[in-house]
Amino acid sequence: MAEVNMEQLLNCALCPNMCRCDCPVLQALGREKVAPAGKARFAAMYKQNHLELDSEVIEAIANCLGCRGCTVRCPFPELNLCDELLFARTPDKEGRQGHLASWEPYLANLKKYSSPYGQKSFAGGRADRGADILYFNGCTALANHPQSLAAVEKLFQKAGVSYQLINEDCCGYPAETWGDPELARSLAAENYRKFVESGAKILVTSCPECWLVFTERYSGWGFGLPLEIMAAPSYFLGLVNDGLLKPSAIGQRTLSYHDPCIWARSAKITQEPRQLLKSIPGVNIKEPLAAGEQTHCCGGGRMFQLSFPKTAEAIARRRLAEFPSGAAIVTACPFCREGLSQDNQTVLDLLELLAESCTK
Amino acid sequence: MRNLPQTVIQESLVEPQVIEAFARDAQAIVGADQISVNPADLLANSRDYWPVNNIWMIEGALPALPQLVAWPGSADEVSALLRLADKLKIPVTPYGEGSGALGGAIPLKGGISLDLKRMNRLLEIDEESLLATVESGLNGALYEESLNRAGYTGGHIPQSLSCSSVGGWLACRAAGQFSTRYGKIEDIAVSLQAVLPDGTIFSGRSVPRAATGPRLDHLFIGSEGIFGVITSATLRIWPLPEKRHLASYTFADLKGALECVRLIMRSGARPAVVRLYDAQETGNHFPELGDQRCVLILLIEGAEKIVAAEAEVIKELALAAGAIDSGPDHVEHWLEKRFNISVASMLFQKGAVLDTIEVSTNWHNAHNTYLAMQNALLAVEGTILASGHYSHVYPDGAGLYMTTVGFPGANKLKFYKEIWQAAMEACLAQGTAISHHHGIGLHRGLWMREEHGSGMEVLEKVKKALDPEGIMNPGKLGLGEVGLWQK
Ligand SMILES: Cc1cc2nc3c(=O)[nH]c(=O)nc-3n(C[C@H](O)[C@H](O)[C@H](O)COP(=O)(O)OP(=O)(O)OC[C@H]3O[C@@H](n4cnc5c(N)ncnc54)[C@H](O)[C@@H]3O)c2cc1C
Ligand code: SF4
Ligand code: SF4
Repeated sequence: MAEVNMEQLLNCALCPNMCRCDCPVLQALGREKVAPAGKARFAAMYKQNHLELDSEVIEAIANCLGCRGCTVRCPFPELNLCDELLFARTPDKEGRQGHLASWEPYLANLKKYSSPYGQKSFAGGRADRGADILYFNGCTALANHPQSLAAVEKLFQKAGVSYQLINEDCCGYPAETWGDPELARSLAAENYRKFVESGAKILVTSCPECWLVFTERYSGWGFGLPLEIMAAPSYFLGLVNDGLLKPSAIGQRTLSYHDPCIWARSAKITQEPRQLLKSIPGVNIKEPLAAGEQTHCCGGGRMFQLSFPKTAEAIARRRLAEFPSGAAIVTACPFCREGLSQDNQTVLDLLELLAESCTK
Repeated sequence: MRNLPQTVIQESLVEPQVIEAFARDAQAIVGADQISVNPADLLANSRDYWPVNNIWMIEGALPALPQLVAWPGSADEVSALLRLADKLKIPVTPYGEGSGALGGAIPLKGGISLDLKRMNRLLEIDEESLLATVESGLNGALYEESLNRAGYTGGHIPQSLSCSSVGGWLACRAAGQFSTRYGKIEDIAVSLQAVLPDGTIFSGRSVPRAATGPRLDHLFIGSEGIFGVITSATLRIWPLPEKRHLASYTFADLKGALECVRLIMRSGARPAVVRLYDAQETGNHFPELGDQRCVLILLIEGAEKIVAAEAEVIKELALAAGAIDSGPDHVEHWLEKRFNISVASMLFQKGAVLDTIEVSTNWHNAHNTYLAMQNALLAVEGTILASGHYSHVYPDGAGLYMTTVGFPGANKLKFYKEIWQAAMEACLAQGTAISHHHGIGLHRGLWMREEHGSGMEVLEKVKKALDPEGIMNPGKLGLGEVGLWQK
């Protein structure tokens, strides 16, 4: 895990930070050390034995949301800076790298509860054994917005689709984020076993970070998934398009959709959530500044709400300022929902809204 | 931190107890979390985009480290910090976004790196008088995007738009790619606020013209942080253009093309973008045109009827000069690629040394300067490319932008010094100004005396009057003992 592509890392270290305006961490903190190329310079100098890492440098390098905002203007299509920086948080044999002490409690939670939140994520629930669809909610939504699962279940039931739920373990993304690849793998192994045992054909998830790790990491960790992985907004749009879900009006509403960065930039899912919103009669959409693939992170990427809560909050405030007045914010990611809920701001969940409109 | 990388050109450092004394009092001014002696911060503010920094980085070294980084949040805080630094005689190097190309933001004598990033607000848009007032630490792309959202443009689009600050533009007398219509930053700036080392806050007035003595704002435009710190500015803005027209023409030779461009300027037409490439750059940037002709790229914008008239005048002049109309597609291509600088990183990794050297010439020297600089660069052993384009054009002359690449083998720094020496000598011999928009910084200070003659004495006197302790960005703009770093 966390192999480094030195050529790409150096391309970045030698760049004058052409993406600095798109990096939410840099813009919120205003510190040169967290500039994209700044982080790459630390990492490259360390890799070439010109710099030793200590917790201050590791913290600077770890100040990356994994939001891929830097890819919008980056001239190197092969470069994925956030992944190239991951190695620094993972201890090597000599113990020269590693996670920050402040992350320890979350790693301990993951080991004890298979969730970073100090509670077991989810104990089974309704499951139609043998159903083709397996729904994975993810531990963040389960911890912070438990009602989201009920909404999804209503949608499945309304559409007459059988679905399975499993006793979820954390997907592994947080463990990777906090520099424990072994733990990430062991969590992935458990999920893999349960996915395979379920016999399901399609894995639907509403959590972008779970989606990312299922699609981009599991096979590299030795758990190539024998299921199709679908993002929940795309899956439920399919049900609407097939006429299985029939949204009805929930009043005149002006909504502004916040694109979660992984859905927008990694999964390229930007139209589906908007089409879902438009399928609800009476909904009018007003775009925020930085929409679609140009979206700005809410501050919740790579577990910032736990790892760097103050920074996460500062980034969320900047993002909130980009929304049009008079529109309610709606999103499709548990981290965005949590992050943008600052100062009594209500943030709606796409699927909960759909469930409301389909079950009226 | 253990084992900080070696610094190569650190001229001196301030006694640690003096920095500690500064830190104690500075905390009360900006708050404890707005100053740092954390090595990660010191490392990050140690450099800019002077290409030598990249050479050193690959070798595992740094130019010079500051001893403390401070992030003031207002002009009053800047004022209090500077007064304190002045009292303790600590060098202060302003830091915008570190995209400067000549080493200007390097803290040569240690001390304080004064980072303006917290001062990043767009304070006001005056739609009636077409003015925007902005804090100096605001990122260029964020500034332009905010204006665009309100229906305006700032007219200043340097290639470094996304990685430079408004204060950096003013400090370096920067130029955007659209400068023929909108002007360089010195034309766009109406007034500014700047803080002197003794804490005085100078605030210029944002009136269009005034016969009220010298316009002191201009003292700070191009001062590269040696007189004080620019904290905000009022800049001209324009309504987003109603119409954009793209055109390109190719010419059999550069000299004839240049003459045509001169006549276009003389006609009164003011395209936003006028870029004339030599045959080699035409081939490199527009391979479909081959490398035998010189392409002229034009972008004309503004009110539809005026744009149409300008396009017509230009077309007539170009065709009369024997040019071939090559349509809008090459301009589209340029618009798409104009911020892509990936080739620089890749060449550095391959062991190349490269730089761009921009100079400012009147028409009568425009072609000779190009030839002289190209010959001089090619004569340096190791050079494999010396090409150029005229990147900014005015009624009285043009900015010439030379690009040079070499593979010198082991002694990269020696080669780097040689190409610059060759290029600057050739430029000075032509009576051409040694910089059009990158500024002087550390490196070009070597040629400032030849550039200005006795004008340097005036600059020194002004410096002495405004900054008697010499704390502001020492070693830059050719003041003091230049060239120590070369040893
Ligand atoms: C890829 C690339 C393309 C470029 N393209 C252009 C271009 O098209 N046109 C152009 O003009 N330049 C260009 N440049 C050069 C550079 O971007 C400009 O010089 C820019 O104005 C520097 O701004 P900065 O905020 O990065 O300043 P910095 O590099 O941080 O500082 C530059 C100098 O200004 C001083 N300074 C910065 N802020 C202040 C302040 N508020 N008060 C006082 N002094 C201050 C610093 O001490 C330093 O001496 C380019 C550079 C790169 C890397
Ligand atoms: S991510 Fe790309 S654009 Fe950003 S600093 Fe690195 S190389 Fe430059
Ligand atoms: S992934 Fe996001 S947070 Fe990380 S460097 Fe890129 S823009 Fe910044």
